[in-house]
Order: sequence, then structure tokens, then C-alpha cells
Amino acid sequence: MDNFTHNDEELLVQYLDGVLDEHTKAEVEKKLNSDTEFRNAYESLLLTKEAVKQYGLKEKVAGIHKGMMKEMQQAPIRHISSARRAVRYTISVAAALIVLIGSFMLYNFYSLSAEKVFNSGFQSYDLSTARGNEEKESVIAKAYRSKKFDDVVKLYEAGADSSKEAMFLTGMSALELKENSKAISNFKMLIAANQQNNEKLYNDDAEYYLSLSYIRNGDYDFALGLLHKIKDDSNHRYNKKVTAKLLRQIKMLKWR
Amino acid sequence: MEVIKNFPDSEIVGNIRSGERMDEIIKALYRMHFDSLCWHIMNNSGSREDAEDIFQEVVVSFIDLVQKDKFRGESSVKTFLFSLNRNLWLNELKRKGRALAREEKFEKGQERTEADFGHQLADREGKLAVLNVVERLGETCKKILLLFYYENLPMKDIVSATDFENEQVVRNKKYKCLKQLEQMLDANPILKQTLKNLLHG
Repeated sequence: MDNFTHNDEELLVQYLDGVLDEHTKAEVEKKLNSDTEFRNAYESLLLTKEAVKQYGLKEKVAGIHKGMMKEMQQAPIRHISSARRAVRYTISVAAALIVLIGSFMLYNFYSLSAEKVFNSGFQSYDLSTARGNEEKESVIAKAYRSKKFDDVVKLYEAGADSSKEAMFLTGMSALELKENSKAISNFKMLIAANQQNNEKLYNDDAEYYLSLSYIRNGDYDFALGLLHKIKDDSNHRYNKKVTAKLLRQIKMLKWR
Repeated sequence: MEVIKNFPDSEIVGNIRSGERMDEIIKALYRMHFDSLCWHIMNNSGSREDAEDIFQEVVVSFIDLVQKDKFRGESSVKTFLFSLNRNLWLNELKRKGRALAREEKFEKGQERTEADFGHQLADREGKLAVLNVVERLGETCKKILLLFYYENLPMKDIVSATDFENEQVVRNKKYKCLKQLEQMLDANPILKQTLKNLLHG
């Protein structure tokens, strides 16, 4: 900085402070544009001023900080430890699961219908698995095997056959035709006849399908009574069909 | 009793730019944002003391950036302060070698925001060194330079605030103090670079 004089230094500080008259200011600016050494000296002063401003700002905030911490001490922030955070996380996950499970259960509760429960337990009765000799089959049995359920009901009502088999197959045909009352009536008739004769012909089938008929007909108490009886009888042909889920679903339908 | 008031962003930024009601604005920043930013640090391996230190730096950086027109209002003041807080704390964790993997992952996953003045924030040590140099100035020099360059007080007010006889004596003293500080800073070129970053961004 051989060419840089004390006057130059003073001039630059005055320029930095904004106290120069317009003429001198213009001369300084002209020199700043043309003289690298002059410009570097000014940049150095600017940086020094910046250091003062940074220090001033830091001191200003630090001064207010103390007062604010005193003010805020009345409501200290709690430190959340890792263990506490883990507990909070676990609770959040558990709460989310409860909401999820609750939503799922609510959905199941409101989307459940008698028809759905009926369908989950219903299976068409397959005559061929119960009987082998088709030559001796009654006209009602033949109609049933051919899935002519209307014909089965008509034949039975016309008195073509009044056997217990005909009674049962008519009940099944009525179920297939969604004629619940007729199905209930036939199954009950069959069970009563068995009780009277101390027989068991088609009795397990009639009890199970009667309970399904009750479900679809909205007679949930009757259905539950019958299904509990089946569940309690380990020798009942349909014992395994009566699950806790089925019983729960019927109870839900009843509560609704 | 002082009325606690939430300032809208425009009022905060406007006052910082004009330098008016600075104490009131700084207090408002504390009341509105300290708790949440403190919570963030304390839940990311920091202590209450860390949170307080970082928040002071957040406020200083925010005011500095607003006054240099580097806050353009693309995000809210809250978001901007949160970003500054996060960046300053991550830099501090890295410095201490305590940055957790998830914090680094979090940082990488973040989009660059308006508050990403990385080269300024990362140079925390440089800035502290600059402040230490100013701190080493004599009390009188510090007082005169702060009153003139930070508080922007006219010479006659500085005369009243000091024991000097008249404005010319104060002016001469200020000149000497400024040159003294300049020489102290000149002794460390790294500090000059830090100041360049702070001044020019």
C-alpha cells in the first residue's frame, strides 16, 4: 500500500460513515472504480464495520435472551427422554391399532346382514351323498335332485309324498326359493314328527337348516337357541359348523 | 405488565428491515417460536442450554438475513426460523461428531429452502472468532463503535453517552478504534473470509 496515504484512509472512513459532501463522495466513488488498492482498503473497512454490526446484534439478542428466559422459566419445557419417547411412540402405535381395529369392527358391525350370515353357513343339501339307490327315489326326491324346487313344494303341497324325507326336501326347497316361513314350518314339522316317533331321520339336518331359516327370517333368538344346542352336542352332524364367529355374528345382528 | 402479542410476519419483517421496535420484535420471536424450536433440539440429542444457544443464533441470523434482504418471504417466518434452527443444530452436531444417522438422512431428504445459507451457517466457528476479536477491543472502543455503527447514533448523542469532551474527540477516537479493529481482523485472513460471507452472502 505504498501509494495509499493517511488522507486516503480518513477519506474512506468518512465515505463509510456517509459524511462526505456530494462532490467528494463522487470523487471517492470514481477512485473506487478505478483503483484496486483503494477498493480493497474500502472493502476491508466494510468488513470491519460488519464485524461491529454482528457483535452489536449478538449483544442485543443476548441481552434480551436473559430477560426472556426468566419470563419463560415459569413454563419450562420438559425434556423428553428416549424411554419416554419410546413409550409415547408405543402408545401412538397402540392408539392407531385400536382405531384401526375399532374401525374394522364398526365396518363389520354395520355391513353385517342376515343374508350374509345365512350365506356363510348355508350349503345346498346334496341328495346324492345321502342316498345311492335312485331307482327307489320318490317323485319329490327326483324333482329335488333336478333342482326343480318349485315342483318339490308343489308336489308336497299336493300330497304326492308326506314322508319325512319329503318334508325335509320341501323345507330345503323352500330355503332355496327364499321362502323362509315355509322352510321353518317344514323343518319344525319334521323335528316334531321325529320327537313323536322317537326317530332321528333327517333330524340333524332339519335342526341346522331350521336355524339358518331363523337367521334369514330375523328370528335371532330362536336361531341362537338351536345353534347352541347343536354346538353342545358333539355327536350332532353339524356340530363343527356352529362356530364362535357364527354365534357372535348372530348376536351382533340381534344387537343392531 | 407487558402485553403479549403475536405479530404477523409482515410486521416482524417490516420492523426488522427498518430497525424499528427491535427489542419488541425480538421478544415476540422468543414468545412465538422459542418453545417449539427448543423442543426440536431437545428431542434431537440437545440440552436446554444447546437450545438456548442455538435459538440466540437463529434470531441473530434471521435479523441479519432480513436486514440484508435475503429473506424474500417465500416461506413463513416460522418455517424459516425452523429451517435455520435445524441447519444450525445439524452443523453443531456434526461439529461435535454427534450427528445421528437419522438426522443426516433427514437433512439429505430435505429440499433446499430459503433458509439454506449453508456457507454462512456452517461457519459458526468463524463467526464466533470474529465476535471474539471485537470482544477483545477495549470497552471504550467497543462502546463508541457500537453506538455509531450498530445503534446508528449521531456524534452528539455519543458525546453525551461517553466521557469525551466533544464530537471531534469522539470522531478521532472512533477512527482509531475502527483502524485498530481492522488490524486485529487483518491478522487472520480466515476471519476476513467469514466476514465476506456474512456481508455478501
